[in-house]
Amino acid sequence: MGLIRAVMNTVFWKERQKRKPLGPRWPLLLFHVDTGGCGGCGMELQAMTCLPYDMQGAGFGFVNSPRSADVLLVTGALTRTMAPVLQAAWEAMPNPKGIISIGTCALDGGVFSENYAVMGGLERRVSVDLAITGCPPSPQEILNGLCTLLGSAAQGGQKETPSRG
Amino acid sequence: MDVATLIYAGEQTSTPWRFRLDELAWRDMVDLLGDDDLPFVGLWCDGVDVHALFLPDGHPLAATLALEGGRYPALSPARVAASLYERAIYDLFGAEAMWAVDVRPLLDHDVWSASSPLSAAPGRGGQRKGLVAFQPSDVMAEATGRVEECGPATGSLAPPFYTRLVLSNTLVAHAETQTGYAHRGIAGRSRHARVEDVCRLSSRVAAGSSVAHQVAFCQAVENACDSHVGTEVALLRVTLLEMERLFQHLYTLAGMARLAGAQLVASHCMALREKLVAEAAPITGSRLLMDVCIPGGLSVREATQMGNLCARLYGLGQKAYPQLVLLWREYPGLSALLGSVGRIQADDLERVGLDGPVARAAGWDCDGRRMMPAYDGLWRYTSGRQNGTAEDRALLLLDEMEESLRMLDLASTRIGLNAGGTVPLSMRDGEGTGLVEGPWGGVLYWVRLAHGRVAEAFCRKPETSALLVFEQALPNHAAEDTALLACSLGMNAAALDG
Repeated sequence: MGLIRAVMNTVFWKERQKRKPLGPRWPLLLFHVDTGGCGGCGMELQAMTCLPYDMQGAGFGFVNSPRSADVLLVTGALTRTMAPVLQAAWEAMPNPKGIISIGTCALDGGVFSENYAVMGGLERRVSVDLAITGCPPSPQEILNGLCTLLGSAAQGGQKETPSRG
Repeated sequence: MDVATLIYAGEQTSTPWRFRLDELAWRDMVDLLGDDDLPFVGLWCDGVDVHALFLPDGHPLAATLALEGGRYPALSPARVAASLYERAIYDLFGAEAMWAVDVRPLLDHDVWSASSPLSAAPGRGGQRKGLVAFQPSDVMAEATGRVEECGPATGSLAPPFYTRLVLSNTLVAHAETQTGYAHRGIAGRSRHARVEDVCRLSSRVAAGSSVAHQVAFCQAVENACDSHVGTEVALLRVTLLEMERLFQHLYTLAGMARLAGAQLVASHCMALREKLVAEAAPITGSRLLMDVCIPGGLSVREATQMGNLCARLYGLGQKAYPQLVLLWREYPGLSALLGSVGRIQADDLERVGLDGPVARAAGWDCDGRRMMPAYDGLWRYTSGRQNGTAEDRALLLLDEMEESLRMLDLASTRIGLNAGGTVPLSMRDGEGTGLVEGPWGGVLYWVRLAHGRVAEAFCRKPETSALLVFEQALPNHAAEDTALLACSLGMNAAALDG
C-alpha cells in the first residue's frame, strides 16, 4: 500500500506541480481591459475560465477592480478613447504589478494599425511583461502563456521577456 | 404616393436599385416615411452623397441625396433607428443632419487625431486629454436621483461601453449609454482597400458574428461583380453560418446563466461550446471561424472534411442537447428571474428595426434565412413562446440551436468531397448588397467596387438597433440586471462602434 502511494505521489504530484505552479503571489489576480478589439480575445478568455481549462487551479483569477489586481490583461487594439481608461486602471493597481497583452491587436494593432482613432498596440508604448500573440490566441495558448509567467517568477523572480510568439 | 414609388420616381443611377433624389423629394420621402412601413436598413455617407437603404420584399432600394453645404434633411424624425447613423455620419464626415432627433456625438469624443476624419478636409483633433466626459441628453441632464455608472472598463470580458443609470429607489428611472470606445475606423480602412483586406476586416467587426459579416460582404462583392458561387460553396457557407449560430448561442446562454447566478448552467453551456469548437477548429482553421470566406469561395483549412465535421457536430450536439435543455428549464429560479427581465414588445422592435432572435422571441416573424436560396430545404420557421422577455429569448436560442444541429445533419449528407471550389471573380466597377441572418439578426453589406478595389463599404448590423432597445428597456429594471439585459439583447460594443 505504501509503495503504491509512493508511486502515485511521484507520478501525480509532479504532474500537479506542472499544472499548478506556485508563485510568490498565488493566485495571481487579473484585471481585464478591452482597449478596442473585435471581442474575440475576450471570448477566448471567457472560454479559459470554464471547463476544460483549469484556470483557477493553475493559479489565476479575474477581479472586477484594478485596485485588487496584480496584472493588467489587455486585449484589442489601443484606441485613443480607451488609452486614458487603460492609464487610469494601471495607476489604480497596487505595486508590484504587471501588464500582459493578449492577442496580436493588443501588441501591435494587428489588422487595426494606427489611424485617427487607433494608436496601434502597446508595443513601444509601455513595457509589456508578457505578450501572447494570435488572432485570437486559443484558451490553451493563453493559459500556457500565463503559466510561463508564473513559473518564471516562481523560479527566478524575473520578468518574462516580451515575446512575439 | 408611397415611399417606394417616390424613390423610383427619382433619377436612375448606374445601379438599378439606387435612385438620386433632390432635396425636396428627400424631404417628401421623410414626411411619407412617418406613415409608411417600408423596412429601413441604414443610412450612410461617402463624403459627397448620403444614401438611405430600404428593403421592400427583401430587395434593396436606395435613395441618394447630394450633400448641400455639408447638410441633409434628417431621417430620424421618421425612423428613430436613423439617429445612430446620423450621429456616426456627423462624427466621421462632418455632415450635419438637419432636424435630427439626437445630435450628441456617437463615436468621436474629441480625442481622435482628426475631426471629421473621412471628410475631404479633416479638421484638427485631439483637443481633449484624459478620460472622455459623459455627454447626457437634455432629459438625462435634468433627471434627479442616485447615479450609478458602469464601464467602460469593468473587468468583464466584453467589449467596452459606458452606461449611466439614474435610480429611483432601487430601480432605474433613466438610462443612457456612451459608445465609441471600440471604434477602430473600419469604414475608413475599407475605403480604396483591396477586396481581400476588407474581407479580413469584416471577419473582425464582431467576433461572435464573424461568419455572418464575411458571407454578407462576399455576397455583396459577388453581386457587384454579377458573379455567383456554386451550390456547394453556398451550402458550405450555410454550414459555417449555422456553426457560428450554434457556438454563439451557447456563448450567450452561458453569459445569461452566469449573470443570473446559475453558474452550473453556464458551465454546461461553455463546456458543450468548447467541445464543439475544438472539433471544428482543425477543419475550419479558426476557433472563432475568422477568415473562412473569401469573395468567390471559401478558405477553410480542410474543405473536403466539412461534411464529416457537420455529422460529428450533430452527433456531439444531439447527445448533450436534451440534458442542457432540461437543466435550463429546471434550474431553480432561473426561469423566474429571466422572465422578469427585459420584456419588449414586437412593435417597439419593429420601430427601431431590431430583428433576429430578439424580435422572434417577441412575436415578430422575421428571419433573413427565408430570403437565402442556399437555405432551401434546410431552414424552417419554428415558433415558441413570444412574450418578449429574456427567458423567451433564451428558450428561442435553445430552439435555434436544435434547428442548427438539424440543418448541419441535413447538410452533411449533401456536401461532397470536392467541396470548396472558388469561382474566379472578374472584378468590375459596380455596387452590390449582401444580406445574411447572423446570430443576432440581419447583417447587410453594401459595397461599391472601383478599379478592382472596394471604393466604399457600408455595414448594417443588428447591434446598432440593439443599443436603442437596451436604452429604452432599462427603466424599471433593477440596476444589477443591466448586464443581464444587455447580454440577452445581443449588445456588442465592438460591432456597434465598428
